[in-house]
Order: sequence, then structure tokens, then C-alpha cells
Amino acid sequence: MPYWLADLLWVVVKGVALAFALLTTFAYMTLVERRLLARMQIRHGPNRVGPLGLLQPAADAIKSIFKEDFRVTAADKVVYTLAPIVAIACALTAFGAIPAGPANSFFGLNPWVYDLDIGLLAVLALTSMGVYGIFLGGWASGSKYPLLGGLRSSAQMISYELGMGLSVLGLLMLVGSTRLRDIVDWQGANGWLILFQLTGFALFIISSFAEVNRTPFDLPEAEQELVAGYLTEFNAIKWALFQMAEYVNMITASAIMSTLFFGGWRGPQFLDAIIPGISAWPFVWLILKIAAFLFLFIWVRATLPRLRYDQLMRFGWKLLLPAALLNTVVTAGYVAYAREGLRWPLFVIGALGLAALVVGSDRIRVLVNSPRTTGVTELAPPPSGRPLGGD
Amino acid sequence: MSAFFFVVLAVLIITGALVTVIASNAVHAALGLVATLVALAMTYVTLDAHFLGAVQVIVYAGAIMVLFLFVIMLLDATRPVTAHNPVGFVNELAALGGAALAGALGLIALGWRDPRPLAEGAAALRNGTPGAVGETLLTRFVLPFEAVSVLLLVAVVGSIVLVKRPVSQPSAVPEAQPIESGERAGA
Repeated sequence: MPYWLADLLWVVVKGVALAFALLTTFAYMTLVERRLLARMQIRHGPNRVGPLGLLQPAADAIKSIFKEDFRVTAADKVVYTLAPIVAIACALTAFGAIPAGPANSFFGLNPWVYDLDIGLLAVLALTSMGVYGIFLGGWASGSKYPLLGGLRSSAQMISYELGMGLSVLGLLMLVGSTRLRDIVDWQGANGWLILFQLTGFALFIISSFAEVNRTPFDLPEAEQELVAGYLTEFNAIKWALFQMAEYVNMITASAIMSTLFFGGWRGPQFLDAIIPGISAWPFVWLILKIAAFLFLFIWVRATLPRLRYDQLMRFGWKLLLPAALLNTVVTAGYVAYAREGLRWPLFVIGALGLAALVVGSDRIRVLVNSPRTTGVTELAPPPSGRPLGGD
Repeated sequence: MSAFFFVVLAVLIITGALVTVIASNAVHAALGLVATLVALAMTYVTLDAHFLGAVQVIVYAGAIMVLFLFVIMLLDATRPVTAHNPVGFVNELAALGGAALAGALGLIALGWRDPRPLAEGAAALRNGTPGAVGETLLTRFVLPFEAVSVLLLVAVVGSIVLVKRPVSQPSAVPEAQPIESGERAGA
């Protein structure tokens, strides 16, 4: 067998294994989410199928696959079928770039599917293609609510993509590479990047929530306003594919945040004194970090209410984007003029920036959200003279 | 191998372009253009221009085409146009323009010379990493680069001016009454 063919074969095998792992994670993520949400809301959640409800995902999967897959008459046939496939394909492909361990650590294989110079950019490109799934799904349904959901999602994702890209620029300038492995290695040598990019991380995590359409940014499927948004006319396996895409995107976003800001696959190095080499174990640390972020996604869903659409847009364009720009400029200035290797002032700057955003949030919210600046007139005066929520 | 990929990608690009021109449904036409752009990005990747490929997908396929589709859906422009064409000679003009463009492309393809030997150019590109591309862009081509950014700024300002509704002047505010800043007057 020629060398490149064996190489290709192994990449395909790894890709299929990764897809399988991601989809299993998705299935159990739905169960974990429902159980956790139930716990946070003081109820039981699904606990009937199997012990502790552990077979619930299997039951859901069987139901989705064997349910009748009917099609809306007004739907655009090709695009209606294509949309969920695009969504899940982009979601699954993006994860392949994440390195899960040092080279040759996975039974002599590299624990990643592809490794590019432009690693982070490739992930951003693939996730930006993911918007087509939602967008086209909404349009192809040939119905009003899905169309509105699709339009909302495209506007939202385009807007927050900019903030997302800008908020990691400072980090990329510090590291000097877009290759995800280089970013992990840099953190192994110099410490986690969240220390030096605190504001950047805050902006990035907010944009990530918006990019994967999770609460408080789940406007594309706001059930009180749009039935189920772009999902309304989809059923059976196509609906399940969209759900898969959303959860896989969530897992990818968690992996990206762990890799960029929390040391990636590297564990804490002080543990090496107890068990030598434990900090370089593949998979273990990355999976732990991903799990922590997934818990955060669920926790936020149980905690925060949804934003109104105009608030979402103003927040993205008038606060997130300028703050990300400012973070980029400050980091660029620091990298250009500060002494090589002197990094603790970046932590102070980041902490001050974050504190300014949190402390000033009431003032800032009024600036971008008050009726005077937005031109949104109130319908009726508040009955008790109390200010309305959100403004 | 690379010849095989090139043929596949070229077929994809041409099919997408044909769909863009022929499809009567505007959304299908836009999707054909997306296919062309993505296949073009893959061609860049096969030529070791990874950064260019990623930027092509992020900017054109991921952002600009989404906005195209956004407008098409928002204005419900998916139905084929059946109204009378007010400009009778537009087909002839388009044919002339297309012929001129094809001629120019042919001239470029036949008369093109390497600005420098291929091996040297490939070494300078260093696998098309962002560093090498950025360095070239911000040193040798800094003037065109900044000119393009000014052009974009002009476009942004122009679009804001176009969509901005005229603001009614608050003439009713008496001079003596102080205007609170920021917070709305609460209870």
C-alpha cells in the first residue's frame, strides 16, 4: 500500500470515529441537559427509560429514525433536504481541527483529524458555513415563522462572527500563530492564555453563545414568538439532524474555548510530581474542559432569559464589536512596545477592562438601549412608575 | 492526484457558475454561486494557499453570500422576473462585456509570465501561512490595501446615509429646562 493511501485511510478512520464520538456525546448531552435543567428547576426530568433514564437517548433516536418523514407541499424540495445535511456536515467537520494530545500519542497516531497552519481560521470558516443550514432550512420550509427564524439567525450569526473573530485577534498576536497546536504549546510554556486575554475571553464566550444559538441568544428558535423558528416544518430525522448540528456546534465551541484560553489538551503541570507525564495524557484533559464548558452552557440556559431582538443587535454591534476592537488595539500596542517576555501587565489590563465592562454595564446599557438613542417609543407608561425591564 | 482534484473542482466550479446564470429561482442561483466560491477556495488549498482559501470561505461564502441570500429572501425576489424589460439592448451590452472579459482573460492566460521562478515564489509564501501573506500585504502592497479599506469605509458611510431616516428636530424643548443625560427620569 502506498504511503499516502495508508495516510488517507487512517484520516478517514479517525474522522469516522470522531463523528461517532461526537454523535454519542450529542445523544447523552440531550439527556444530561434535561436532567440538569430539571434539577435546577426542582423537578425530576426523564427517568423512566432504563436506569436513571440512561436509555432515553436510544429511545429518542429510534423514534426520530422511524418516524414518518413527511414533506411540506410549499417546501423547496432540494434545499429542504440539503439544509440539515449542510448544518451537520459543517458542524462535524469543524471539530476535526482540535488537537486532543501530543503528536503520535493515540496508539502511534496523531490525536487530531487534520492539522493546518490556518487551524483557527479553518474552524471559523467551517462554522461560518454552518449558518447556511439554519438559514436555508428556514427559507426552504415555505412558511412564515421558519423564514423569520432563518432571517434572524443569519443576521445574528453574521453580526457575532465579527465580534468573535476580533476578540481572538489579540490572542493570535501574542502567540504569533493560527495553528491550534502552536497555541497549545505556547500555553504549555507561558501559562494559560486566559490570564493575558481576560477581556478577549469574555467577549469570545459571549459571541460563542450567540454563534451556537443558545440562550440568551436563541432567537432563531424562540418558541414563544416563532413556534420553533427554522425548525418548525422539520420532523423526524431531519429535525434530529438540526438538533445534532446545534449540539455538535456547542461541543466544538467548548473545545475551541478550552484550546484557545485554557491550555487545550494539557493538564495542570504540578500533577506531574505525583504521576509523571499525567499532564500530557491525550483526551483526558480536553474532555474534562469541554465537559465544564458544556455544563456552563446548560447552567446559563437555566439562568438567563432571552434577549429581545433589537437588544441583541445593539449589543453585538455597539458594545461587543467596539470592545473587541479596543482589546485588539491595546494588545497590539502592548505587543509592539512592551519588553519581550513581560506579560503580567496584560493580566492587569484585561482584568481592568473586564471590571470596567461589568461595573459600567448599567451606564453602558442605557447608552445603547435607552429609547432616546434607539428611537423605540414606549407603548404605555409603566403602571407603577417602575422602569421597564431591559432599558 | 492533484490533476484529478483539479478536474473535480473545475467541474464543480463551472457547474456552480452555470447554475448561477441559468437557475430561474434566485435562491438557487445564489447557492450555485456559493458552490463556485467554496470549490474555488478548495482549489486554493490544493495550490498550498491555505490562508487564501480560508479567507475566501469566511469572507465570500460565509458573509457576503449570506447577505445576498438575506436580501433575496427579505425582498421575496425568488420568483423569476416576468415584467417587461425597460432596457431593450441589455443583452447585447452584456454579450459585448462578456466577450471583452473573455478576451482579456484569454490574453492574460496566454501572455502570463512568472514574475519570479516558481520555486522562489513558493519558498517566499511558506505554504501560504498567514504570516507570509500578511507581511507581503502590509509592506509591498500597503497602498492598495489601505485604498481598499478606505473604499469599504466610503461604502459603509454611504449605506448609512442612504438608510438613515431624517431626524425630527426637538424644537419643543424650552431653553430653561435642563436635559438629563443618560438615565430616563424615573419615579
